Amino acid sequence: MSDVLVRASDVEKTYGSGELAVPVLKRISLEVRAGALVLLMGPSGSGKTTLVSVLAGLLRPTAGHVELCGARISELSESKVAAVRRRHLGFVFQSYNLFPALSALDNVAEVLRMKGFAPREAEQRAADALDRVGLGDRRTHRPGELSGGQKQRVAIARALAGDPALIFGDEVTAALDTRTALKVMELLRAQVTPGRAILIVTHDRRLEQYADHVIGLEDGSVVESKRSAPDAAQAGAMT
Amino acid sequence: MRRIALLSLAHDRGKLVASLAGVAFAATLVVGQIGLYVGFLESSSAVVRHAGGDVWVMARGTAVVDNGERLSAGSRAIVASHPCVARVRALVMAFLPLRKPDGSLEAVQVVGYEPVADPVLPWSLARGLPQDLHGPGRVAIDGLDVRKLQIGAEPLGAVLTVGTEEVYVAAVTRGIRAFTLAPYVFAEIDTARRLARMGGDQAYFWLADLARPECRDDVIAAVKRHGDLDAHAREEFRRMTENYWVAGSGAGTALGFSALLGLVVGAVIVGQTLYAVTKEHLRELATLKAIGATPGEVVSFVTWQAAVLACVGGGLGFLFAYLLATGTAGVGLVIVLSPTVLLIGAGAVLTMCTVAAIWSIRAVLTLEAAEVFR
Ligand SMILES: Nc1ncnc2c1ncn2[C@@H]1O[C@H](COP(=O)(O)OP(=O)(O)OP(=O)(O)O)[C@@H](O)[C@H]1O
Ligand SMILES: [Mg+2]
Repeated sequence: MSDVLVRASDVEKTYGSGELAVPVLKRISLEVRAGALVLLMGPSGSGKTTLVSVLAGLLRPTAGHVELCGARISELSESKVAAVRRRHLGFVFQSYNLFPALSALDNVAEVLRMKGFAPREAEQRAADALDRVGLGDRRTHRPGELSGGQKQRVAIARALAGDPALIFGDEVTAALDTRTALKVMELLRAQVTPGRAILIVTHDRRLEQYADHVIGLEDGSVVESKRSAPDAAQAGAMT
Repeated sequence: MRRIALLSLAHDRGKLVASLAGVAFAATLVVGQIGLYVGFLESSSAVVRHAGGDVWVMARGTAVVDNGERLSAGSRAIVASHPCVARVRALVMAFLPLRKPDGSLEAVQVVGYEPVADPVLPWSLARGLPQDLHGPGRVAIDGLDVRKLQIGAEPLGAVLTVGTEEVYVAAVTRGIRAFTLAPYVFAEIDTARRLARMGGDQAYFWLADLARPECRDDVIAAVKRHGDLDAHAREEFRRMTENYWVAGSGAGTALGFSALLGLVVGAVIVGQTLYAVTKEHLRELATLKAIGATPGEVVSFVTWQAAVLACVGGGLGFLFAYLLATGTAGVGLVIVLSPTVLLIGAGAVLTMCTVAAIWSIRAVLTLEAAEVFR
């Protein structure tokens, strides 16, 4: 697999059709390379969520191409795209999306089982992932017994456990207070490896300090794309 | 996915209990109604099934065992004259008035038979032996009819006035109750003929035991050549009798309708629960879809829950039906829980849970993975 994990070429996305057509993405081209934490920023309604959905193969572009982890997903069938996501992607969400009935360990392990790991190995990897996000002592707790920051860390463990090449996150810190939000970003920052990239959607300027690259979106078009030097003190630091 | 599905189902105790109760209720109702239906069928044709005889000979046009007519003296010889007929037995099935101690009348059905080694009649005795009915004026009544006939605490030896004759109870049958609700009074043939004021060579039915079963149709054809006689294989006459009472009376339709109602109520309760549990987990399920779960995997979230509800709820329902059947046996309501009845019940419960799962399955299948970011 080349260095580029996801590449969009002239991607357009229009919701609806005819009179009611809403053009949301306008000829967007961008790349995300391995080893980077990329922030996708922009005002509300600028199309950030739509763009990340298209990049992750959850939505089909109306025009243009998307290459995800070496596959031209805009030309693949639904099930083939799902297979690409299953193999290479992890997701983190604003609202955590954890199964309330399952323990932290099960929430991570069940996804690994779904990805094809044997039950024992899934459990082992899930335990390791929880250790890595600092929740080794909360394995048996259910989401209802965890704080927002802890829930988000379980979600990050779930995204990490399958060893994905690319992790997508949308407003992952929006539901958290500043201190916790920054801790979660530190944690994500620490998960960037030479073979892995993380793409985070946000409109929180404070998160820029953790990014290698910032893409600005406005009204469906890329208006800026700049390198950003992550604060050395923050990068890699973890409690 | 099994683990996720089952833990999620168990997470909300209230909903789980409600839907298990729904399935159990529906299963009890369905199995109970079918069992009751089969019980009706069996009790309506009990005499035909237990009295034996390969070919039943009767007055032309007889449609049911309870509405026979007296056959002439010569007809026995006609049946016996066929070379394949090994034995002919007389059967009396006569409705007669019984005068109760308080002076009121009750119709009873006198079943008169020729005692033979096989089959033994009456077929189920609670007290006394078949031999106790040897000798004039001895009858057997059912334990369930003791109160109705206003017999005291000790039925054995009680005197009954049937027609103008007095007989006494020499044995008590167990759970032999007619679909017509007229109490059966079993008596050997001579006593029965005396009660019904019949000649010594008359009967309502002639039961022919054949030397070889292959000649059955031939015997039937030979009997039918006599204009006033009719003949049917026993199985055929059993079916005719069951149809006459159960299908003809609308009892089958009524029972079928309430069974269907039970299924509909059960399907709604189960459907509601499955849908509620699914709806509560749509975000998580969308997450699984985003991570790459196949349609089959997300559907199995619903199907595992439906399967557990069907099996556990259905099992409970069958248990309740069993308790119901044992409980009602004492009051003469026969609920037959044969393997066939249970199989049909299981099929109905499974179908019900499948139908109930359809909405939820639709919901998870049409769920867009992109919804996770909304
Ligand atoms: N399913 C849809 N059908 C029609 N229009 C949609 C749909 N989803 C989003 N839109 C429209 O597309 C535009 C971009 O939406 P999107 O959610 O991508 O913005 P966003 O940048 O993520 O905003 P926010 O920061 O508020 O989350 C909005 O105008 C929205 O109304
Ligand atoms: Mg958004």
